[in-house]
Amino acid sequence: MKTRVHIIDNTTGQAVEAEIFDEVTVEHFIETQQEWRPIVLKAARQLAARGSHQLIPQHFHWDWTTKAPELKVLANAFYGIRYDNQLQGLMKIETVGQFCSCRLPEQVDKALVYVDYIEVAPWNLKVLMNALGEKPRYNVIGSRLIEAAVLKSKEEDCKGRIGLHSLPMTESFYIKTCRMTPVGRDPAKQNLLWLEYTPEQAENFLTGAR
Amino acid sequence: MKFNSDPAWLKKQASLEDNCFVSVGGLVSAVEDLEQQTQQATASRTAFVKLLNLTRREHKLTWEQFSQKLDVDLAELMEIENDESYKPTPRTVTKIAHFLHVPAEKLFILSGLARVHDRYFKEAALRFAARSQPVKELSSEEHEALKEYVKFLCER
Amino acid sequence: MADKRTMTLNLTDQEMSLLEELSARKDVSKTALLRQALRLYQMVEARLSRGEKLFFEDEEKKKAELMVV
Repeated sequence: MKTRVHIIDNTTGQAVEAEIFDEVTVEHFIETQQEWRPIVLKAARQLAARGSHQLIPQHFHWDWTTKAPELKVLANAFYGIRYDNQLQGLMKIETVGQFCSCRLPEQVDKALVYVDYIEVAPWNLKVLMNALGEKPRYNVIGSRLIEAAVLKSKEEDCKGRIGLHSLPMTESFYIKTCRMTPVGRDPAKQNLLWLEYTPEQAENFLTGAR
Repeated sequence: MKFNSDPAWLKKQASLEDNCFVSVGGLVSAVEDLEQQTQQATASRTAFVKLLNLTRREHKLTWEQFSQKLDVDLAELMEIENDESYKPTPRTVTKIAHFLHVPAEKLFILSGLARVHDRYFKEAALRFAARSQPVKELSSEEHEALKEYVKFLCER
Repeated sequence: MADKRTMTLNLTDQEMSLLEELSARKDVSKTALLRQALRLYQMVEARLSRGEKLFFEDEEKKKAELMVV
């Protein structure tokens, strides 16, 4: 799958046409190590030097290449967003697995699609770019990836239901920007907040309805 | 897949998202798993260095004599001994395996050149690494530990 | 989406009942459920072949090992 999607170029404030695709390969993972990781580390060092440790992403030394064997597993789906010849975001979802069941009382046990990994290129993140004295380049990458997860959920007959564990520093993104329902903290996953969509909420997110 | 192409939706999402940080718990768990694997790799690496050291002392060799017996570079042997982050060359590991009469692939794992998911292998490496003391002469206990560990590497 | 191929599947009454029960519980079609089951099987097989083990854990944190034949 390869589809055109609009994202925002912060320099102009205008919409630009990016590409979202699902044929993610190990070369894309290598690209993140070569292009993303050095910037994340540089920004993390700056934040540490300023004493802003709480702003350092917990996954700052994450390595996508270690997940190469998971590309072949059919239960997984990977999505990437490309613009200006650069990878702008990457996501891995699971369609089957221990987290692929709903926990909201009104839909408990029903199948959902789980967002296992999601990362936006560091030059698109305000916190990291501010640490480097720069401005973030492109916006709406995270929303587009969540949108892809919801659309995949519908393809899998899960009616748009998705679930994920949020890190503390991203709870606001899922609650306010994506309007997911916070269900509760999961002791099996470091007490991270579990959020999910009902089919109605998923549809509202896709259409922009409130 | 039909993505939303409404400019109003895009504008609204842009305002809400505002280039905020986006991540999920899966990344952090996986990073922690990787750290645990790295710690286990460190234990294996310690066992590898200990194996080398005890073997040299068992044969009552200096490092220089040992490197000649193994037919490997003395400088590399010293790097292995002193620098935990140093990754030996496959040739060196093969030479050591040949000298010890143990399967080379086992030493590849121990030295950090390859990864393993074998629980028994990791546990044995940890036990061996914990057992020896830094003294010049091999004690009978160290001698036994070395003999046992080499036997284990050959049998598994 | 990738091209799809069709197959006919014969199930016993018990298997069909189970399929219907599970698809109702998970709120997915029977086809979707069978596809999920196949993917789950592949995921488990891939990890078992790497020497990993599959455990279930009950609330008292007691682990019981599942062997897949």
